[in-house]
Amino acid sequence: MAVSNTSSITLSASDRLVAGVLALLLGGFLVFGAGLANSAVLHDTAHDTRHSYGFPCH
Amino acid sequence: MIVRYLLAALVAGLFSGVLMTAAQEARVVPLILHAEEFEGGDEAAPATEGSTPSTDGAAATHEHSSLGAVVLDVAAYLSPVSVAYAHDAEGHEDGGIMFGMSRFSGTLLANLVTGAGFALLLAGFSLVSGHPITVANGALWGAAGWLAVHMLPAIGLPPELPGFPAADLTQRQIWWVAAVVLSAAGLYLLFLKPGIVAKIAGVVLIAAPQVYGAPQPSDISSAVPAVLGAEFAVAALATTLFFWIVLGLSLGFANEKIAKAA
Repeated sequence: MAVSNTSSITLSASDRLVAGVLALLLGGFLVFGAGLANSAVLHDTAHDTRHSYGFPCH
Repeated sequence: MIVRYLLAALVAGLFSGVLMTAAQEARVVPLILHAEEFEGGDEAAPATEGSTPSTDGAAATHEHSSLGAVVLDVAAYLSPVSVAYAHDAEGHEDGGIMFGMSRFSGTLLANLVTGAGFALLLAGFSLVSGHPITVANGALWGAAGWLAVHMLPAIGLPPELPGFPAADLTQRQIWWVAAVVLSAAGLYLLFLKPGIVAKIAGVVLIAAPQVYGAPQPSDISSAVPAVLGAEFAVAALATTLFFWIVLGLSLGFANEKIAKAA
């Protein structure tokens, strides 16, 4: 596997999967809230960010 | 140990979000402000709908085609300030910037949240797929993230300025999310999976949302000058590329310094 060349990898396969899935869920939640959530307050706060990142907006 | 990997992603994401804010203020926000001068009354519509729930008000604002020009004119006449211009939250029952922050603070906060979010997504993708992000390959990871989240979806839905014509918001968001997910899966097969079958499947996945086609507006006329739109599209893609390369590199650095320093 590609991971074999990095001797400093210390996570077991299952821990790595748990960390990865946690990161994906948390990251998806944050990006959804800042970029896609249909809330007027969130939209106005993140307005320029949403446009800059090319999130569908307006 | 698991927490350290999440922490490394957060640090890289917040750092990239700060740098992205500087890049945006320099290259992108001036174009947004310029475009809003041409936007007319479109953004002011929620002011007449203070009694409706905020989501309905926001949705109504975005359905340019279903709102008559008369309604927009009346809304513009009644509202002294457009929602997008609103620097203070008071006076806007539905909308306004969180905690009464300035527009810049709102953008900074949103960039920090977005940066942390994308960093966690990138780190999660790397952890689940079993390919570590290091300083050596971080820029390539970032470039791939930019392709999946910005460049490839932009083929169907280019970055929009305020006041640009657009199809139904929900339809576009669904297409956008599908395009990001399919592009990311396709890039994974293309770059990280050996074998000709995986390469072909990757290209098919990347092409699928483009072949299906993004939702397009029926009427493409706009009061915003085309030159602004062209400048904005390039500026938005360039600044997000900058963001992703910084993110990939800093995530590689944070992985080596924080995640593995236990």
